[in-house]
Amino acid sequence: MECYSEQTCALAVDGELAADEAQRLRDHLATCRRCRELLDALRAESRALSESLHELPEEAPGLAGFSHLRRSWVRGDLAVMAAVLALGSISSIWFDGLSIPAALEWFSPFSSSGRTNLIFSFFDHFVLGGTAMLTDYAAVVGFLSLLLLLGAGALMLGRGRLRQLGLRLLIVLLALSLPSLALERRHADFVTVPASETVDDTLVAAGNTVRIEGVVNGDMIAFGRTVEVRGTVKGDLLSFAKRTVVSGTVEGRIYTFSESFDLDGQLAHSLYGFAQSLRVDDRGHVGEGIVAAAGDVNIEGEVNRSVDILTSGNADVSGSIGRDLTMSGVSLTLTNTARVGGNLSARVRQLSEAHIADGATIAGKRDIQVQQAKKSQFARPRFYFHQAVWFAAAMLVGWLGLLLFPGFFRGTTQAVGSGWLSLGLGVGLLAGVPVVMVVVAITLVGIPISLMLFAVYLAAIYLAKVWVGAFLGRILLKPSGATKGDWLLGLLVGLLILTIVGFIPYLGGLIRLGVVCLGLGAFGLQLYRASRPAITA
Amino acid sequence: MDAKRNMAKEPQPREGETRQMEGLGLENVIERAQGHDEDALGELYRRYVRRVFGLCRYMLNSREGAEDATSEVFLKLQRSIASYDGSIPFPRWLLRVAGNQCIDALRRRQRGLKVFVEVEDGAVVAEAAGSEPSPLGAVISTQERAQVRDTVARLPENYRVPLVLRYYGELSYDEIAQQLGLEKNNVAALIFRAKQELRRRLAPRSK
Repeated sequence: MECYSEQTCALAVDGELAADEAQRLRDHLATCRRCRELLDALRAESRALSESLHELPEEAPGLAGFSHLRRSWVRGDLAVMAAVLALGSISSIWFDGLSIPAALEWFSPFSSSGRTNLIFSFFDHFVLGGTAMLTDYAAVVGFLSLLLLLGAGALMLGRGRLRQLGLRLLIVLLALSLPSLALERRHADFVTVPASETVDDTLVAAGNTVRIEGVVNGDMIAFGRTVEVRGTVKGDLLSFAKRTVVSGTVEGRIYTFSESFDLDGQLAHSLYGFAQSLRVDDRGHVGEGIVAAAGDVNIEGEVNRSVDILTSGNADVSGSIGRDLTMSGVSLTLTNTARVGGNLSARVRQLSEAHIADGATIAGKRDIQVQQAKKSQFARPRFYFHQAVWFAAAMLVGWLGLLLFPGFFRGTTQAVGSGWLSLGLGVGLLAGVPVVMVVVAITLVGIPISLMLFAVYLAAIYLAKVWVGAFLGRILLKPSGATKGDWLLGLLVGLLILTIVGFIPYLGGLIRLGVVCLGLGAFGLQLYRASRPAITA
Repeated sequence: MDAKRNMAKEPQPREGETRQMEGLGLENVIERAQGHDEDALGELYRRYVRRVFGLCRYMLNSREGAEDATSEVFLKLQRSIASYDGSIPFPRWLLRVAGNQCIDALRRRQRGLKVFVEVEDGAVVAEAAGSEPSPLGAVISTQERAQVRDTVARLPENYRVPLVLRYYGELSYDEIAQQLGLEKNNVAALIFRAKQELRRRLAPRSK
């Protein structure tokens, strides 16, 4: 009998031969050694092929780390986010055609006409270890995020199974977009609330010049080249402007983001500023304190409580400060009329840059140091207490984040491992997001989104150390499993290292900046991945 | 009865954290998943994601594509698990779904061009019996297996896909034919040619 073809034998090995033909082949095999050998070889081949393929390539296990079906949740999130964004854009349709880019061009690093030295000053500060400013800003948002997370956590524990990421995000987004509710919006070249007018809602105003001569009963959010408050704002004032002047009264707080800020009137609570030049005129009065990062600071008026300033230039005080004055900058001048009710603590570039007139009154201690001389702070118990509190807060935020967004937190931690990619992306995000924020605020979908972006931006800056810390810890500890405990232990170790390393003079500042960039980049990367229909979401 | 037995057929080694689901038999997990229990769906994902990802990885030859396809498969699973009747073992059923997903992806990638060309059955048989025993038969070491995988990955699509469906997905020729829209004998010929090509490419290395 003639031998069988190799293909027929292969079919037989794969069990694909029809029953009768298989029988005939078996009969033939009994007598034909050659076909028997062929069949054996083919069988061995199939086995080898199958075994080789079943040994998965190295890359596969990474995937298995992500349990559960994240993507459907991601879809939900995207839907929720889209809904919120749509709502935001509908509500801000009013701002269509807004043309005030000139008002904010000073902030754009690409603008040659704008005074960009603010950006450079910041970089200078980072190098000099002055990351405290961003950290302070981020700390405020970190605190808010913490409250938010706690609230959401309580809700979830109470409800038991409120576990969908979409709902979590909804909570966060709703909380963040609250300012966009109940708003009165005005937009024109010249927005004005005349002296005879009272606005009962929160007022969002955008224009070349925004001038309030009347009364705003709610908060006021202003975008413009010039923002002037000559009347009264009963809530908080949030201003993004080239020039902000408050000669009237603000009964809440002021958050300003301006090239120049002048307070000529009354502020009932605190001032939080981020400005090229910040000035409290002799008629200006601040009911509480000032926390500011600015190019130059000038305090001629009265501040009831403490003043904390970080400047890239000079701080001049000729007015009165009720409690402590803490500053860090190039130089400090206290004139004869200056009065500090508490301690004076200054970090200047050189001791000769601190000019304190003989007539200046300082009720508490004077502590003037050259910026680099940081050693003394390690000698103070308060420093350790402060660090411990912030350390615990970061751990708590990390823990809550892991509890509420386990996949995202782990994913972001892992994304830190992308190294240069994360770092590069982070640098881009750190510099680019503020610009995008401004552009979004004045052109596309409006202010609520810009504010949300701002909050997320600061939150991410705060969380950067958590992600980088967790990553660092994981590398060092190489935990066998991927339990929450391991992640938190890694975070503990990583944060400790980052905290300690952060205090190295010069290098520490750069490292902190690097951590912020890395974390921000990882966050961006993870966001990108989560928005893609991929399993690593 | 048979169906129940198939369902209970135990698959993959487990890994990861211990959960209560882990102790459950596959049959129970599937039943719960059919009742839209999220934990059960998560457990199925945990048990089979590697297997499904592997198939997609081989078929699509791209990590990203494989990740996308894998997540598509498990998304579809949420909707289609209700239709699983236990007539074939669950892993095989799932891999069939995955195979379909990848073939769709490949077709989309080719923008509707016919990916799987039929081959003449007779052309292959010409090189009939008497050819040398396969060099593949002697493949044992890990390194050699990696070589085999690499070579499979480099095969042209219309060889690679049926080969992987057969030897990784463990689908029958009929099932493969159905997925690819070909006749069974075409599938047999493709697989046969694929193996010949594989031998040809591996031969110089194994000497």
